[in-house]
Amino acid sequence: MVDYISRLMPALLAGLDTTLSVFFLTLVFSIPLGILVALGQLSNIKPLVAVMKFYIWVMRGTPLLLQIVFIFFGLPIIGITFDRYPTAILAFVLNYAAYFGEIFRGGIESIDKGQYDAAKVLGFTPVKTYQRIILPQMIKIVLPSVANEVITLVKDTALVYVVGLGELLRAGKIASNRDASLVPLILVGIIYLVLTAVLTTAFQKLEDRYSYYQ
Amino acid sequence: MKIGIDKSALTLYHIKVIKRLRNKRKGEEEMRNNITKLILIMLILAFGVVSLAGCSNQTANQAPSQTSNQEETSAGEDSFEKIKERGYVIMGLDDTFAPMGFRDENNEIVGFDVDLAKEVFNRNDLELVLQPIDWTMKEAELNAGNIDMIWNGYTITAERREKVAFSKPYLKNRQIIITLADSDINSKADLEGKKVAAQAGSTAVDAMYTEPDVVATFDGGEPVLFDTNNEAFMDLEAGRSDAVVADEVLARYYIKLKGEEKYKVLSEDFGDEEYGIGFRKQDKKLLELVDSTLDAMRKDGTFDAIYNKWFAD
Repeated sequence: MVDYISRLMPALLAGLDTTLSVFFLTLVFSIPLGILVALGQLSNIKPLVAVMKFYIWVMRGTPLLLQIVFIFFGLPIIGITFDRYPTAILAFVLNYAAYFGEIFRGGIESIDKGQYDAAKVLGFTPVKTYQRIILPQMIKIVLPSVANEVITLVKDTALVYVVGLGELLRAGKIASNRDASLVPLILVGIIYLVLTAVLTTAFQKLEDRYSYYQ
Repeated sequence: MKIGIDKSALTLYHIKVIKRLRNKRKGEEEMRNNITKLILIMLILAFGVVSLAGCSNQTANQAPSQTSNQEETSAGEDSFEKIKERGYVIMGLDDTFAPMGFRDENNEIVGFDVDLAKEVFNRNDLELVLQPIDWTMKEAELNAGNIDMIWNGYTITAERREKVAFSKPYLKNRQIIITLADSDINSKADLEGKKVAAQAGSTAVDAMYTEPDVVATFDGGEPVLFDTNNEAFMDLEAGRSDAVVADEVLARYYIKLKGEEKYKVLSEDFGDEEYGIGFRKQDKKLLELVDSTLDAMRKDGTFDAIYNKWFAD
């Protein structure tokens, strides 16, 4: 059994590599994009608000799997062709930025109006107000929701199989089909659990650091 | 009077807060500065992703190893000259599909179809690039030009003939009925009131429905469908299903893996079928090349050697 597991691990770790790279790239790009989406929604520019609302509606209103398929197989029809990996990253970033945007919007809106007044009285420019007062407090508020979303993302990365990318779950399925055994899938489950445990701990640490008013 | 008390209380509270804030360690101030920096960096990256999206569009077209340009296929031309020029053929396969094409423990794609294809293109001085795809997307991948052929236990059916051009059949296959060794099912008639499992989207399902009156007698009036044959077999083993209908080639592979004494294969089946290789309809030259090379391999015994490597007992 130990021998079998050690023979399985290289393939699973190769899959894990794709899983992690999709995961990190999505986070790195979708969080900042999410902040922009949130700010866009809260801006006074009516058309921008409408565009953001529409974008969020589409991204949250259709399955991520469908979005990946659309970008990979649909866009080439109008002459825009992406490679497999960029397709996956693009779809994930666009999708997760919509969710993050809504989380950040909620966080920003939950900050008391008085804070803006106080900042104005103290002579802060609007940019400085966001930078030094609103966003730092927002981060504290949104951390638990972001943690939720990030953990969902780890598991969602399995969807990249649809463009033929081999990730962790697919690697497990391949081994399971080849050996007619459930062991590879159990291993995959354990790897996902380890990933989630690491993330949960990391976010707990972050929350502790941000709990400076308690 | 009352107001005065409130005011002073409020002021006292404020003084406390201010003191507390003043006493805060410097570290927190620094941390907040760091957050601000972090946010700024993220905003810059966000603009980056937008431009990256624009760039990768171009790079995608420049990277011939993965995705070929759309125009290549929509023009409807035979792409054989282009394939010869670039020196390789892209074969699309489901890398979960043992024993036709799957990954071994070293993560290399192997299998009966893979060995056949390697030999075919070796003889024609073309390199073979194996591209894993999602099986439900196979025809879309082919017609988008992402792959040049579907070669992975691909059964020839009338519906598929409308979308792709098939090679000559290279392997015969039956849809067999498998039960546990101690089952009292011995014929199709015995399937009445029983749970019958199969892989969703497989030709086993189509084959069963060529005899709708038999399907109607199943428990529930339809087969139980699973994502993979492996799952159908596990369900049989768990005793929830009474029989599995599957490609003989695949089923024999699983039976061998799980132990031949556990299963019984009925003498009756759901009909014959044939595996072929799928090409884009306009790619006649590539199709003819593969057909003639396979014929030659049959004559000189190479085909049988590869067959025996994968299917001989």
